[in-house]
Amino acid sequence: MININIQKTLHGSSGEMDLKVDLSIVQNDFVALTGQSGSGKTTLLRILAGLEESRGVIEVGDEIWQDSNKRIYLAPQKRKIGFVFQDYALFSNMSVEDNLLFVKKDRELASHLLEITGLALLKNRHTSTLSGGQKQRVSLCRAMMNSPKLLLMDEPLSALDPSMRTKLQNEILSLHKEFATTTIMVSHDPSEIYRLANRAVVLNLGQVINEGTPKEILLQTSGSAKFSFEGELLDIIKVDVIHVAVIAIAQQIVEVVVSQEEIKRLSIGQIVRVSTKAFSPTISE
Amino acid sequence: MSGLTAIVKDVQKHDSLHIVKFDCEGQVLSMMSLELEKTIQKGLKVKLSMKPTHVAIAKNLQGELSYSNQLQATIVKLENGVLLSSLSLKLDSGSVIESIITKESSNRMNLQVGEQVLVLIKANEIFIKEVLSC
Repeated sequence: MININIQKTLHGSSGEMDLKVDLSIVQNDFVALTGQSGSGKTTLLRILAGLEESRGVIEVGDEIWQDSNKRIYLAPQKRKIGFVFQDYALFSNMSVEDNLLFVKKDRELASHLLEITGLALLKNRHTSTLSGGQKQRVSLCRAMMNSPKLLLMDEPLSALDPSMRTKLQNEILSLHKEFATTTIMVSHDPSEIYRLANRAVVLNLGQVINEGTPKEILLQTSGSAKFSFEGELLDIIKVDVIHVAVIAIAQQIVEVVVSQEEIKRLSIGQIVRVSTKAFSPTISE
Repeated sequence: MSGLTAIVKDVQKHDSLHIVKFDCEGQVLSMMSLELEKTIQKGLKVKLSMKPTHVAIAKNLQGELSYSNQLQATIVKLENGVLLSSLSLKLDSGSVIESIITKESSNRMNLQVGEQVLVLIKANEIFIKEVLSC
């Protein structure tokens, strides 16, 4: 069990904000941390890693990483964590293998990690010569080198293209399972959260405003409708005895037939929710 | 997904609204649609489809119904779940379409494999799944 109960006043772009998080995480959980930018997600990861101080307690199993009342702050290198940053943060003047051995002189583990992530042939290459996906694999391997109790990832895949993202998601999941680690990953990508996490936590202005299974958090429902999108009402066109509402959703325009009664509640420019029950949409390739 | 091969017989148009009539082995089907692709014209062969959850069934029917599409069919398969029933219905044309109804309705109507029923589909529930040829 990992118990986090911390508090810190942050000076954000929109003034002062209290980051106040009270969270218990079961061992081996894969937690997705999501929410708008500036909500304190990255700061929370940095506090867990010991890179920033805060008030409160962090307990990981039977170890106390932080207890501000007792003036206990375990140094980052003494916490068994792995950290994967969005921008890789590798030593570019070192080889792939040396980046891993820098964390721990364990050649066997290093070659095992490079093997399962398909990097074995690149172990002598300088990291500056690698692609984005390869670099992020190296930083993932490096994060696993000290068999972390807690793996922290801050939008690790957001700089990669979709197909590379899917590949790395699979590798992250297999490493999470093989090392039986507990993982907290900041992510904004619903498909990523759904695929990887078993629990999602939504942070807003420093507070946890929602948590549950990824499906509970991500499925946008209104009433019994399971197929629901928010969009802007662009136009209402009368055709015969019906009306056609033209709505912009994401990068697309959709049309919805509405009746005389239904349009009474609508006005152009309004943000509306388009939804239907799960029984109606059809799927095609 | 249910599918029927049909030939476009007639296209009625009013502004962006269309009603398309199809010939499905002697049976006439109606489809309601907004904008229609220009290629959908008389003589075109298409595959029509509808969601099985939007296909209703009638038995020993009397009186008038507003359903534009009323097709004679035989139940060739009936699978009862806990709450729902899934039926395969063979039309006179030989095509098979599916219907998903509540098991309560299926039991109430005492539906059996081999029985003749009337398949009911509203014109707005039918869509063109595929254009086959001219």
